[in-house]
Amino acid sequence: MRDALRALRSAGASVAHSEQALETRPTASEPPRLQRAEPIEGDEVRVRRVEGEPTVGVAAFLDGIQESRVLAHWPGGIPLVHGTVAATIRRRVGRALATWRADATRVERALFVPRAALGDPAWRAIAEGCAVRDTLEPGEGGPWHPQALTARALSAVQRRREAAETACAELWCAEGDGPLFVDGGIASAGSAAQSALAIGVVKSHRTLYVDADALQRVLGLAAGERTTAFTVASPRRTAVASWYLRLRDPAARDALWGLVRVEVAVAGATPERCDLVSRWLLAERSPVSLPDPRWGAMAYGIRLTEEYLRALTR
Amino acid sequence: MSIGRVVATERRPNTPHEFHFWTALGAPVGIGTIVRVEGPPTGDGQMVSVYGVVVEGFSYTDLQTPLHDVIGADGDPASAVRAPTDRTEIRLYTAHSLRHVPDEPLQPVPMGIVHLATEADVAVALRMDGYLKEGQNTGIPIGVYRSGLMQSAVYLDADFLLGPEAAHLNISGVSGLATKTSAVEWLLASIFAHFPAQKGSVAAVCFNVKGPDLCFLDQPAARLDDADRALYDAVSVPAEPFQHVEYFAPYTARGYSLATLRSNEALSHNVHPLSWGLREVLQYAEVLLNKDDVDAKADALIDFIRERVVNVEFSDSMLERAHTVRSFTDLEQWFRDVLRAMESRNAESWRTHHVATIRKVRNRLTNISTRCRGLVTDDGTSHDLPFGNFRDRAVYVIDVASSEEDAQDLIFARVVSQLREQLERRTLGVDHVVVFVDELNKYAPSDGPDTYVRKMLLDIAERGRYLGLVLFAAQQFRSQVHRRVVGNCGTALFGRMDMDELATPGYATLAPATRVKLSTLDKGQLMVRHPHFAQPVFVRFPRPAVLSGREGVEKFPAEPEPSLEVAVTRALRKLDPSVTLDWVKQAIVAAPEDDVLRARNRTLQAKPEDVKAYFKAQFRGRVRSEPVAERPASLPLAGSSGDDPYGF
Repeated sequence: MRDALRALRSAGASVAHSEQALETRPTASEPPRLQRAEPIEGDEVRVRRVEGEPTVGVAAFLDGIQESRVLAHWPGGIPLVHGTVAATIRRRVGRALATWRADATRVERALFVPRAALGDPAWRAIAEGCAVRDTLEPGEGGPWHPQALTARALSAVQRRREAAETACAELWCAEGDGPLFVDGGIASAGSAAQSALAIGVVKSHRTLYVDADALQRVLGLAAGERTTAFTVASPRRTAVASWYLRLRDPAARDALWGLVRVEVAVAGATPERCDLVSRWLLAERSPVSLPDPRWGAMAYGIRLTEEYLRALTR
Repeated sequence: MSIGRVVATERRPNTPHEFHFWTALGAPVGIGTIVRVEGPPTGDGQMVSVYGVVVEGFSYTDLQTPLHDVIGADGDPASAVRAPTDRTEIRLYTAHSLRHVPDEPLQPVPMGIVHLATEADVAVALRMDGYLKEGQNTGIPIGVYRSGLMQSAVYLDADFLLGPEAAHLNISGVSGLATKTSAVEWLLASIFAHFPAQKGSVAAVCFNVKGPDLCFLDQPAARLDDADRALYDAVSVPAEPFQHVEYFAPYTARGYSLATLRSNEALSHNVHPLSWGLREVLQYAEVLLNKDDVDAKADALIDFIRERVVNVEFSDSMLERAHTVRSFTDLEQWFRDVLRAMESRNAESWRTHHVATIRKVRNRLTNISTRCRGLVTDDGTSHDLPFGNFRDRAVYVIDVASSEEDAQDLIFARVVSQLREQLERRTLGVDHVVVFVDELNKYAPSDGPDTYVRKMLLDIAERGRYLGLVLFAAQQFRSQVHRRVVGNCGTALFGRMDMDELATPGYATLAPATRVKLSTLDKGQLMVRHPHFAQPVFVRFPRPAVLSGREGVEKFPAEPEPSLEVAVTRALRKLDPSVTLDWVKQAIVAAPEDDVLRARNRTLQAKPEDVKAYFKAQFRGRVRSEPVAERPASLPLAGSSGDDPYGF
């Protein structure tokens, strides 16, 4: 970030004063929705008890982080955003986690700026001092709302993070050994989405892949229960097999608390495998990932991986 | 071997004297471990090394509250054990700097890599490299520092242990573990093996104040395992008992035998009586007389007696006869004569001394032989330590364990004063004397009356090093010893300590973990403070190569006090092996017990060529044991009845 600041100062930008991270700012987001998915087990989404005791099966954890903040403003209200993204795989060795290998840890720092809005001379001046990435599509024209530019920068950072995660996931699926716990979905993780090693665990449920009939069944899942599997498909993503799994009893909490949606490759997503993967995930409930507020659905291995990345990038 | 990395935060910064580092969970680091930090090169390309000793350790996980672990385990500890991932744990250590190389400029410890100290590192860290140089080696091994498989001998500097730079040693530890006694026995062996020849000769005088602790220093240890022998080998100290040991003990109250647990006849060859007459005791009368006793007037009279009466012929027109006072018996006769003369003249004072003062001093002085019975003789005979003939590398043990407190004080005061005087005159026979005193809190307490013994200990502690008079003192509670005595001890050893004692202000400079370690030390472990060591270090020392007191009394049981004849026979046999019990019985037949003991004492003191003749000669003229001249046969009274015992 020092390099970026130096580059911005020398290019003539006015440096912002301690802007908060963009990820923590309230942003307008898509409205929550229900979306029907095609069942794989049976002809409708049903509830079933995960057969067998929780068992340790996950060999490694993959997570990524991002942090972006407005570092300076260019005349005309153009935000110049500094973004840091990182992703890594932490392998389980005994009962501890260790970094898998050096090339499975990716850290990238860059200034995310709208090149067209900035103009080439300024872009080149900044690019001389630090890494710069364009937040606009080629040929995209203005005028631009400053907040829209900030949102574009945030999206660009997010894409870089997803790209880093995907690279790590693909590396593991090509050369790793054992199931990989991926924080988030795997549908957009390239070849990993078709690997039997990758298990995506989605904690947020802005889109619930059920119809109105099955909604109550999903929300009523008890700890250790799962839904039957269904397919999640979208035009720009690989289709994956998915199911909801209740890790912890929500008791008096929000009905989505302790609920995760699991994604695995469609090939081989038999009921037995879905049960086995569920048992692996249920085993990861301990130790609890408190004090993270997402602890109801977050595995401790993911929390450790996230902490590792934070230590690496700060 | 790199084992950690220095870290510092704003809340917990490093200073030149203290730094923090983390290690892997299995790193062989603990409280007392010596480490070396290799910092990045300075601006001028110089490498910076900082040596430190670990004083505190912390371990924590990412748990914010213990409740989180309970929640995670659903309240079932067993389920927490089954968790597939261990919580991230940190081992964070705090170390105190021992040395910076280079020592200038003294800066905060750099964020370097932490290594376990090697043997060479330990020598540098403890500044031993300064006094272990070839040709100028003044190192005295105190033990071995261990870290994992590495061990390194730790040396004290003789110049700072036995003078003249600093001197004296103090050792603290709880009772019952034999650490204090063992440590001193080990250290004396080490001193005798390593004290540099160019520094002169050295001997030790040990006061055995309780039980049989020091009674078998010349006997080999009952058990010395391979680990002990390895330690002896590591520091080149022979695993043998002391070669020259002499024991001294006062007599029992009855006077037949010596008041010591080393009374087994098999060990009697080097056990000698310790007894003093009036001349020896009067010099130290202050020891036994408290301030209420010795006011200015009494003091003046005691001085008068000491200078004008004792050992000189004293005559006064008032007195019945001239007196030559050599013993308590003579002194009593002198007092009687003086008081009789005053009474006959109805005089209230004599030579400016009031009759009440004379009576008081008479009472106090003549009472000494009763209070210190066994040590002080009425007849003036004296058996003493071989002042003037002390041997190099010899140990002189004075067993005062069975003596009354007054006698102990008197023995201590006189022996130490004699040592001091003779060292001052260079006539003792050796250049340095180590005086070992256990239970120092009794002799030099931090509170209580200012006794003669305490003043003397203070004097040794403050000035003894110039003379070669070195105090090795031990006590359970250092906090209860006079500050100036412990403060002047250049070297301090700590065995296992009592937690209450560790809570006293004197230990506030130690980190909590160091205090806890001190309270749990094993036998054979010590914490050492020495002027060259910037921080205390922990060492191990071997079991002493001498028979312990407890094992000694089992192997050589103390013998019950023998009969008068047997006691005399044993005493005289040391001078003449041809003395038999029958001969003694015949020689002392009908002699009063006091006369027999006096004869024995004088013979032992004189060590004559012809022991038997000398001993028998003591009875001539004063002993009424000579064959009684035949009395004229009494004539039977007329009329007496042969079978009536009451008849006349």
